[in-house]
Amino acid sequence: MSEQEAGSDKESAIRNLEADAMPRTTRRQFLAGSAAGIAAVGTLGFPAIKVRAAENGPVKFGLLEDQSGNFALFGLPKLHATQLAIKEINDGFTLLSGPTGPGGTGKDGAYSELADTLVESGDKGINGRQLELISPDPQSEPRMYQQLTKRLGLEDEVDVIMGAFASANREAMRPVIDQMKKMYWYNNQYEGGVADKYTFCTGAVAEQQIIPAMQYCISKFGKRIYIPAADYNFGQLSAMWTRAMAPLLGGEVVGQEFIPLSVTDFTSTIARIEQAKADWLMMYITGQNHANFYPQANAAGLKRPMGSSINLAQGYEHKRFAAPALAGMNVAVSYMEEIPTPRNQAFVKRFRAMFPDEPYIQQEAHSAYVATHLYAVACRLAKTTEQGAVMEVLESGIGIEAPAGWMFMDPATHHMSQHIRMASCDENHNITFVQEWPSIEPWWTRRLGVNLVKNPEFKQYTPADDPAFKQFI
Amino acid sequence: MSSYHSLAASGTSASLRSFLERAGLDGQLTVFGGRWYWSLFILVFGAAATFPIYGSVFTALNFTSFLINVPLALGLALLWGYCGVLSFGQVAFFGIGGYAYGVLAINWGLGAATVGAAVCALGLTALAAAAFGYFLFYGRVSAWIIPVLTLVLTLMLETFLGQTAGLEWRIGDAQLGGFNGMTNIPSITVGPFSFDGFSLPLFYLVLALVALTLAGLRMLANSHFGHISMAIQEDQERAELLGYDIRRYQLAIFVIAGLLAGLSGILYASWGNFIQPTSVGLLASTFPVLWVAVSGRRSLTSVAIGTVALSALSDTLAVYSGELAFVAMGAILLFGMMAAPNGMVITLLRGIARLSRARK
Amino acid sequence: MTSDLFNLGYQFLVNISFLMFAAMGLIIVLGMLNIINLAHGEFIMMGAYTATIAVHNGVPFVLAVMLATFAVGIFGAVIERLVIRRFYGNKLNALVATFGLSLIISQGTLLLFGPFLQGIKMPLGGFKVGDYSYASYLLVIAGLAFVVLGALWFLFYRTRLGVDMRATMQNPDMARALGVNTSRIYMFSFALGAALAGLTGALYAPTTTIVPLFGSSFIAPAFITVVIGGGANPLIGALASSSLLALVQTPLSSEFSAFAGRIGLMFAALLMMRFLPDGLSHYIQAAFLNRRRARAEKIR
Repeated sequence: MSEQEAGSDKESAIRNLEADAMPRTTRRQFLAGSAAGIAAVGTLGFPAIKVRAAENGPVKFGLLEDQSGNFALFGLPKLHATQLAIKEINDGFTLLSGPTGPGGTGKDGAYSELADTLVESGDKGINGRQLELISPDPQSEPRMYQQLTKRLGLEDEVDVIMGAFASANREAMRPVIDQMKKMYWYNNQYEGGVADKYTFCTGAVAEQQIIPAMQYCISKFGKRIYIPAADYNFGQLSAMWTRAMAPLLGGEVVGQEFIPLSVTDFTSTIARIEQAKADWLMMYITGQNHANFYPQANAAGLKRPMGSSINLAQGYEHKRFAAPALAGMNVAVSYMEEIPTPRNQAFVKRFRAMFPDEPYIQQEAHSAYVATHLYAVACRLAKTTEQGAVMEVLESGIGIEAPAGWMFMDPATHHMSQHIRMASCDENHNITFVQEWPSIEPWWTRRLGVNLVKNPEFKQYTPADDPAFKQFI
Repeated sequence: MSSYHSLAASGTSASLRSFLERAGLDGQLTVFGGRWYWSLFILVFGAAATFPIYGSVFTALNFTSFLINVPLALGLALLWGYCGVLSFGQVAFFGIGGYAYGVLAINWGLGAATVGAAVCALGLTALAAAAFGYFLFYGRVSAWIIPVLTLVLTLMLETFLGQTAGLEWRIGDAQLGGFNGMTNIPSITVGPFSFDGFSLPLFYLVLALVALTLAGLRMLANSHFGHISMAIQEDQERAELLGYDIRRYQLAIFVIAGLLAGLSGILYASWGNFIQPTSVGLLASTFPVLWVAVSGRRSLTSVAIGTVALSALSDTLAVYSGELAFVAMGAILLFGMMAAPNGMVITLLRGIARLSRARK
Repeated sequence: MTSDLFNLGYQFLVNISFLMFAAMGLIIVLGMLNIINLAHGEFIMMGAYTATIAVHNGVPFVLAVMLATFAVGIFGAVIERLVIRRFYGNKLNALVATFGLSLIISQGTLLLFGPFLQGIKMPLGGFKVGDYSYASYLLVIAGLAFVVLGALWFLFYRTRLGVDMRATMQNPDMARALGVNTSRIYMFSFALGAALAGLTGALYAPTTTIVPLFGSSFIAPAFITVVIGGGANPLIGALASSSLLALVQTPLSSEFSAFAGRIGLMFAALLMMRFLPDGLSHYIQAAFLNRRRARAEKIR
């Protein structure tokens, strides 16, 4: 928070000091890890390439994001973000990365954010090989996801598969992924719990968003909570998390309702919320139909503050609805386009240069962008795209300087720590960030004993597997 | 109908013809037939069966998922083309089959138990189809309402399955899983063969089932039973005045169609180890109708070919045309229906048959 | 207590008007042309897009609604000339063709306008009765549903065009013999159905998010309403079936959950289709005719 508010003059002064104190290359080598090292290998000679004679031609990068159907709204920005990252990697750039997070770099060891974290990698592509994107359209359909996952793995023989928006589609992919023993990245905020040796998750999960959002809203608006939730897996599990966490945070759930995804009319829900006399609402409604809630509630004059883990950052409702439908919405986000830090603004500028018509750069687009860069970094460190070696690097404790902030790949759970911000939406749909947690870890499956480094497994845990949730199921 | 007959009988030697007709494989009520047809039939299935040897294994595996749709489509072709009953809800039975198999297979475990699960799931599907068919036909619901009634059935099923995300929706060890679907369904396994989506056994199983279904339905269509159901489709009242209990025939065909849809559902669950509510949703429910209408509902062979071709086409479009896939698919359906109102595949096959006859 | 009653009544009206608007265009096309238009949802979406784009360009909302109605109506007329007329007498082929059309329109919209348009504000604000707050706009829509129904009644029963339309519907050959230009009547009917879809989309645009699949939430309720209403008399059918379905749905969804309301609606639909297979309008008309006949006999 304070670092961010510091004036830009001060920041640049610190940067100059830092440049004097530390030779630039060593710091980069330290942070970027692979970048300079690989450049050296590349110029020195060919032994590394000779060993892996099979690794010629482009690195094949398989991506399944929805370009049509229900989820195109979310899939298209993710596709574009991946395209941007691949272009950057092929042009010889990388995000700073390394085993440790942002240490003290400025005066007296104080931390200050870098203006931009995209640096030259000294490597065009990955280990001298260009990345080639293969991105068929799964059309938001689980069956298409299964067919195309198979195609990417068996026919195109890609080096890595990323993608899927809806959890249903991820769960459709995973059995296929595990059969093919192919590395898979799910770059999406979701309900959490996936513990799968071949799966890496770069989006935020329940404990990283729900707890901060509840903490903020309880302290700000009061303890009585009402939960309108979508009647599907994400809604059910998130509501369970909210009920379980409420006592710990000093809140009280006074009502909840699960609404089928096909419902478009919220008159009776609005009436029930009025009756429950809640201080604020924890919103887990989702999808095209449920979006109707906001204009309807607003027109009906229901003016309760709202908390959430999914709105704004994911479906950019504040851009899609006429103000003030989303006024009073507070969301714990891992990324939003509006984040005012210089490094994010630099990212937004690059994104908009490539995709000027993009409606919004949402949370998932950011996750996809970071994931693509992190994959390239891991391959450079492994000096190969051979999957076992790359996974070993990813499980060695490695992080990346994302546009949102520092993110660390937790070896045990294959999930990432997130820089979480509380985004608050006002009457004019302007976003302000009212609280910040620079690093929240994905700790929940670790509590259940998940350690994918030691014990490979291939399942998704639910709160039913956690004794602590028993009384809230 | 007489025109069908003339097409079927052409160019066949007398003894072969009499054999095929006695077996019911050829006859008045199947559009194509004769020496040419059966040589091609054997050639196509032979080529498909040996494809993994000379072609790519991946393509064979990919075609498994297209072939899985064929029993579902053939059932609808029988129901719609031979009985005049259009069901928009065949995917409901696809879903019932898939979910029933999933629940049973998860609970009963691996190995031979999966075969038991598949058989029981077929039985349950047939029961469900019989119950709903009884409700439909013995209530004498008029023909033009049945599409919507069956659509409502499948939408109800989707709404129900979609809200089973809660942990209380558990049958034994099987979690229904709501919108995310039921995961970790074991594949059908017999001895050393696992009929999953990654190896060839399922490809051969589905291929054999498709050939058997096609031949079996041809025999059914040409039987006495088939003639009566065709008479019902032509004129319900006349058939009834002739003393036939039309409800019984309609119900029987509805159950057969449901059973075939259930078979596809079970094969799908075994192929993907997964089943989810969108497989009984609005979009999914329109696909079988499209396959059958575009192929030509009067010809079972055309429906089998058209179903595989359209499934492959939509897969190819998804891979190569990205965002344009739906537009291209829509254009094919729209202009295809305008150019060939009886169905594209049947029109094409008729043209070929006529050509080969003309040459002689 | 009164506020609870008002709450139920309000929800009932909102539900009725949604079902009526969803079904009206479809029912006219089905009744007049005997065609099931699977692109109906996309026509609704086009109405919403037209109205939204117009409002963003400074057109007042009321004018934008009229513009959308008119524009989609014209589009319907063009589609009838180019596509639909080839499928008269073959409704199942029309089903496939209109499905193809719906794919082209919805994905084309995604390609042209991107995944969404910014929504427009719901006009008129809200009011409070007892503990509950309500959106006035939804009540206005409910009122409009009856106004539109009245206008259609006037068109059908009080104008020359309406007489021609009903004649064409009952016996096209006879109508043609009597000099009715049935081809033009068909075009007009389809355009009218499309215009009603456009109106529906425009009216509901402020209540929701403007995406290419806007129409999909209208489709299933529309079909159910249409079939329960029956083809004997489109207007009575639409009114009777939407009231009946809303009567089932409203108490269930307000007492239990939206899920109960949804399943209840579909279950009621199943039973009604099974036991009143000719559609409500048929039975209402029959009852009405019987009464009239009885009265006539009494007079005699």
